[in-house]
Amino acid sequence: MFKNYLLVAYRNLVRHKSFSLINISGLALGITACLLIGLFVHDELQFDKNVPDGERIYRVYTQQTKTDAPETFAPVAPMFATTLKQEFPEVEQTMRILMQNSVNLLEVGDKKIYVGDDLMVDSTFFDVFQLPFKYGSAAKALNAPTSIVLTEEVARNFFGDENPIGKEIKVDKSTFNVTGVLENSLDKFHLKVNFIVPLAAAELPAERMKKWGWQQFFTYVKLRPGADAKQTQAKLRAYLNDKVQPTLPPDEKLTSVPVLQPLHQIHLYSSNFKYDSSVKGNITYVKALSLIAVFILLIAGFNFVNLATAKSMQRAKEVGVRKTIGASQQQLMLQFLSETVLLTLASVVLAAVFTSLLLPALNAFTGKTMEFDLLANPALLGVLVLLTVVVGLVAGFYPALVLSSFKPVKVLKSAVVTDGIFGRVQWLRHGLIVVQFALSVFLIICALVVFGQVSYLHNKELGFNREQIMFFPMRGQNMNQQHEAFKNELKQVPGVVSASIGYGFPGDQVAGDGIIVPANGERKDHPVTQLMVDYDYIKTLGLQLVAGRDFSKELTTDKDHAFIINETAVKELGFGTPQQALGKTVEWEVWNDRNPDSLKVGKVIGVVKDFHYKSLYDKLEPAVLQIFPDAYWKVAVKMRADNLGSSVDGVKQVWAKFSPESPIEYKFLDDNFEEMYRAEDKLNTLLWVFTGIAIFVGCLGLFGLATYAAERRKKEIGIRKVLGADVSTIVGLLSKEFLKLVLVAAIIAFPVAWYVMHEWLQDFAYRIDMPLWAFVVAAVAAGTVAFLTVSYQAVRAATANPIKNLRAE
Amino acid sequence: MIKIENLEKIYRTDEVQTKALNNVSLAVNEGEFVAIMGPSGCGKSTLLNIIGLLDEPDGGSFRFGSTEVAHVSERQRSKLRKEHIGFVFQSFNLIDELTVAENVELPLIYLGMGAAERKQRVEQVLEKMKIMHRRNHFPQQLSGGQQQRVAVARAVVNSPKLILADEPTGNLDSRNGNEVMELLTELNEAGTTIVMVTHSEHDARYAHRVIRLLDGEVVLENVQQPFTV
Repeated sequence: MFKNYLLVAYRNLVRHKSFSLINISGLALGITACLLIGLFVHDELQFDKNVPDGERIYRVYTQQTKTDAPETFAPVAPMFATTLKQEFPEVEQTMRILMQNSVNLLEVGDKKIYVGDDLMVDSTFFDVFQLPFKYGSAAKALNAPTSIVLTEEVARNFFGDENPIGKEIKVDKSTFNVTGVLENSLDKFHLKVNFIVPLAAAELPAERMKKWGWQQFFTYVKLRPGADAKQTQAKLRAYLNDKVQPTLPPDEKLTSVPVLQPLHQIHLYSSNFKYDSSVKGNITYVKALSLIAVFILLIAGFNFVNLATAKSMQRAKEVGVRKTIGASQQQLMLQFLSETVLLTLASVVLAAVFTSLLLPALNAFTGKTMEFDLLANPALLGVLVLLTVVVGLVAGFYPALVLSSFKPVKVLKSAVVTDGIFGRVQWLRHGLIVVQFALSVFLIICALVVFGQVSYLHNKELGFNREQIMFFPMRGQNMNQQHEAFKNELKQVPGVVSASIGYGFPGDQVAGDGIIVPANGERKDHPVTQLMVDYDYIKTLGLQLVAGRDFSKELTTDKDHAFIINETAVKELGFGTPQQALGKTVEWEVWNDRNPDSLKVGKVIGVVKDFHYKSLYDKLEPAVLQIFPDAYWKVAVKMRADNLGSSVDGVKQVWAKFSPESPIEYKFLDDNFEEMYRAEDKLNTLLWVFTGIAIFVGCLGLFGLATYAAERRKKEIGIRKVLGADVSTIVGLLSKEFLKLVLVAAIIAFPVAWYVMHEWLQDFAYRIDMPLWAFVVAAVAAGTVAFLTVSYQAVRAATANPIKNLRAE
Repeated sequence: MIKIENLEKIYRTDEVQTKALNNVSLAVNEGEFVAIMGPSGCGKSTLLNIIGLLDEPDGGSFRFGSTEVAHVSERQRSKLRKEHIGFVFQSFNLIDELTVAENVELPLIYLGMGAAERKQRVEQVLEKMKIMHRRNHFPQQLSGGQQQRVAVARAVVNSPKLILADEPTGNLDSRNGNEVMELLTELNEAGTTIVMVTHSEHDARYAHRVIRLLDGEVVLENVQQPFTV
């Protein structure tokens, strides 16, 4: 009997090829999207799950309490770890990682490679994170200040497959000894690691390590088994209030509270953390994607049901015959259920193929290394089997019920089934179409708005000239000591317009620090961005002065007693107008370990027009420019557009002269800005993909419904044609109904899309206005696609021979 | 074999009640060949459907053999149908996705017969109906006469006691129509009871007896030919 079912199912599939193809591929597409999203979500949820004792490990971060919108900072002051270890018996171990963002030159013999993502850590690192070692052991790996632990990949780059324990490797010219090699299993670890060196190597002054205000360390605690993190957190807060706060001078009081964040939440629940260098996911995206996956599967399933039911009317006769011959309703249910399970199986197999084909693209897109290997992963195979059975049964149940309940007396007499259960669930069918098209319209609007904002981000006037600026960090003592000579030679290179050395170039890191404004006997400390510049900074970046003058080499006081501020700083520091700001006195506590108390006192000599040195996510902050050669770490070289290549070569030659031992590592300044918006670029791409899927899936649903409607109204159409209706009238008749649904969908989608996109745009300090045309375009696009889909069936129905349909009655 | 007394069937729409069958009483004996005639809408197909257990009467009694079946469950009716009744329709009603042999085999599958026996039975009946050579064809590849022969083959493959034919020649030309009528006559002569609805006086002449219906009532029962059980 089962064989007979399969035979009929197979022949039905083959006979209605295009229909089968649409139905199978529609479901396959839905399942593919689900599988890909599922893989991504699963991967995101796996972060840090392999760390032993992970449930006892917490990261300490702080939440700003003073400001209206509380800000969260990932790094904390060094004293947190010290205090937790000393004063809290439930703490088994603490560990700090120095916040830095450096790229280091690693050397073994002649081999020189720049490697980023190094961790400078307390020697307790491997007590907290018991990562697996390939060579060496955790116990002594970080004991000496010259110890270095490499990842397998870095080790292979320098030492091939041999065991490098005990070998020397130079990091920025300092020699370290390899004490361990980690196994290559860190792809789902929240820290990016290429190599690990002890904090001792940084030789931080002991005095600084006793600070409560120097937020520079990612700090982890491992609690003893059974300890309650909530209690520890409460105790820590109380301790800070009672024991620490009273000992701090007024301007160093703590303005934030510490929070213990479980290790397993770091990856997904830190998206809004500031200064966080961990590999970050976003739980909102994970949740949204999961929801979308379920939604896609539901919609694909509903469409499957829709199409199958519509098609089932053509099999009414078969049902009648089978029933007449003696088939019971249960037998027929079983037959049609096995058919849908078979169809689903075909879809799942197809989806598995699609998934395998698309996964490399997804991996490239997400930077992950996900695998879809059914043989190696029986659980995945289980999921697919389960998916087949569940989707097959659920999607097949309704058509099977409808079909098997046909009365043979009725269906055998007439070729057209007109009444019964179909009519009664019309609202459900229409509801589904509305939902699908609402989703399509919503996504089209989102895609257009995001596209608009992304274009804006990439093209907005930033207040400086970011084109053709070559940008690189300085390397080596020689270059640092002779920076003036180096810069002069750079300027001699043909095609170079100007060159600037400093710290705080747009798109790169900038330093935040306080600036003191003395007024009325008080000294008020304002948080500002400090741009450490030279005499060519303003010229190189093409900044505009709105008042006063640029720094000048001729005026010797400019080096130690002059500041230039931006327009925002004029307002924030309370100077009134740019003109009024000129000549005002400001003070700065110099970054100087040799003489911690030195104060730089100077006057405002100029005001520059505001320019965006950070991404457009961030509101413009008050910025202070000053000449500060101690921070001459980065170089920006402005070039002419023509012959860029030879100018770059010229710069390289100058570099080689000053720092022959280190290769140059450069970018162009506008690349920095492109990188800032990579997430938005990805969102943009992702939205277009989803929009495409949504439209396709929506059309499938509509197609099914149109097929059904055309089938149902065969007789009506026949009569109308006999009475003289032409094709266009009938196409209009059939299409109108569906266009109404799209209209309803648009009306539902508009406010939702407006709200969601409005919220999204709020994240950007600088953003486009909500583009109203996007709403019009979305509605028109959805309507057009819907019309084309429906009109295919409508034209078919309208051009059919009316006599045939009437005689069938 | 069939005893019907005071049978009623009423079709209701929102506002109108139509009596399709009114107080119909009749009996069909085993081995009889009965034709039911009457103008369109007189209720003959309704009667046939009730006899075939495809439809339920609204009143009266219907005994199939010794069993009262007027209001038995769908499961019971389905069982009786597949064991005792074969159907032949005007529009053949073959399943397009199945071959000739598979169409004929279908009733046997629902009876739960083993594959080997099914094969044998199907071949026997196809031989008998002279369409063995087309056993692997699909219905659309056959002429109308051939399709109806397949339908007859399907109706008799499980050796039912009763064959119900609803205008079996209605879609056929006269030559093919005659062939089908000859087939039914042969089956009847071999012992199968046949009840046939027809418009055709010519076809009705093959029957032993004609029951005429008008407006849902039996107006005339005449025995055309004597027959013996």
